[in-house]
Amino acid sequence: MAMQTKERPVANGVVLDLAGDLTYANREQFKTAVEAIRQKGCRHLILNMAEVRFVDSSGLGLLALVSQNFKLSQAKVSMLKPQSYVREIMSLANIQKLIPVYDNEQDALAGQQKAA
Amino acid sequence: MREAPGNDGNGEMSESGTRDASRETLHEPRLTRDASRTTLDAPVAGQTVLVIDDEPTARVALVARLKRLGYRVLQADNGKAGLDILRYERPDLTILDWMMPEMDGPSFCEVVRQDPALLSSQILMMTSNDQPEQIAEGLARGADDFLSKAASKYEITARVQAGIRAAALIRRLEDVTAEIRRKQEALERELQSAARYVESLLPASGNIAPGVRMVCLYRPSLGLGGDLFNVVPWSDDLLGLYLLDASGHGVSPALRSASFATFLRRESLLRHVGSSDPGAVLTEANKHFPLTENGHYFTIVFATLDVRCHTLSYATAGHSGAFLHRHSGEVCRMARPNLPLGFDPSTVYGTEVLSVEPGDRLYVLSDGLYEVPDSTGNLWGQDRLEQLIRTLGHRPLTEVLSGAVTEAVRWLGHEQFPDDVAVMALELTEADTHA
Repeated sequence: MAMQTKERPVANGVVLDLAGDLTYANREQFKTAVEAIRQKGCRHLILNMAEVRFVDSSGLGLLALVSQNFKLSQAKVSMLKPQSYVREIMSLANIQKLIPVYDNEQDALAGQQKAA
Repeated sequence: MREAPGNDGNGEMSESGTRDASRETLHEPRLTRDASRTTLDAPVAGQTVLVIDDEPTARVALVARLKRLGYRVLQADNGKAGLDILRYERPDLTILDWMMPEMDGPSFCEVVRQDPALLSSQILMMTSNDQPEQIAEGLARGADDFLSKAASKYEITARVQAGIRAAALIRRLEDVTAEIRRKQEALERELQSAARYVESLLPASGNIAPGVRMVCLYRPSLGLGGDLFNVVPWSDDLLGLYLLDASGHGVSPALRSASFATFLRRESLLRHVGSSDPGAVLTEANKHFPLTENGHYFTIVFATLDVRCHTLSYATAGHSGAFLHRHSGEVCRMARPNLPLGFDPSTVYGTEVLSVEPGDRLYVLSDGLYEVPDSTGNLWGQDRLEQLIRTLGHRPLTEVLSGAVTEAVRWLGHEQFPDDVAVMALELTEADTHA
């Protein structure tokens, strides 16, 4: 399944609404969208995963890469509302250690992590 | 790549072109200049035109004109003889009369378009009855262009040049396609050779130590895989084993896996880690194999099995595929939630220890076996795999493995797994001499 990305500026950051699968086939599209946001000097990227059905091993690597790259730019990455299967993959790979997971945008912006 | 000319004596055919026709072309210098400007690569003199016409006067006149333009010209007085020449000489352009005995022009075109060896031939159909319906029929039956018998010499020249131009483009396309195919084949041979090397790194199924039987399965999705596993006796009592999965497909993950396998050799571990403790090994490996610039990484399960003390020590890094199927029937998922290798250099991986008994089975595998989607995108998943292992009980290991593949294939709907599949299963047998 292809992926759609939509950028949405919010106070002190950018929400990237993702729809589709975050997989090997869609890696270039995801990288391009995220890199464009980083280059603009974004301080906080919030990946809205509500419409992402599946993340494969390549997608997982991309998330780790994005987290590392934003850290180098003194910026942070958060994740919003992963679906249950994606949440399971994230938690098996302990991704929340690198990318905090939030259930709503306000908490993500405030940086208050609830139990994911 | 033309074949040798045939010599079947059918009809009136002859090679009547001259290679030093350039002098004749001086009579029409303007047209020659046009030809050299508009045709690709080869000079006009190197190009061949076949004229097929049963009417000698018209044919001779056209042949003479084409020769003056510098073409090598072949001729035939009927469609059947023309086909033979077309087949053996592969001229750049065929000029074809509509009305002919035996095989008329449109029938000739139909035969050519159905023959894979000839179908790219350029055909210019010639007729005195050039009504729009007839032109449409001729094009529909396979001609590329039309030429009225009443056409001026300039029009004839221009249409011939247009046909030659198209023929040159098609030839170039065919040459490039053949070249790509040759290179592709060479590349595939290289990949197959690399795949054989990777497979040579894998252990063979069988009794790997007293009281331990191993069965394994390896199905790379692209011929060359990024999954790798091994089990090696480190001493009389201790086995070292791992299964790793490099993200991505093809050459790059295969190279990274082979390099990782070298790191995981016992002498290398003693040098780099100073111990064979699974947690310590992964903690050190995590520093040696950072995330690549494209976000590629490894997941791994690494274990040591002490067959005398009956203990299994292991560590996992972002790797879910590790089950212990106990003789009692209990299936234990061994993986702990933790980061894959390379995600965070400060990660410390811990060692877990389980006691094992004869009859217990250890399965280590890559997610390629269970992360397979059905036609609606639902994944087969670990739960179904675990259930299958439970259901097949303690049937022979090979049956459990082939049963798992059969079920995954049934779920997938075809045999082509989207990712590499690797499974290594170890069974502690009752015949444990150390027990």
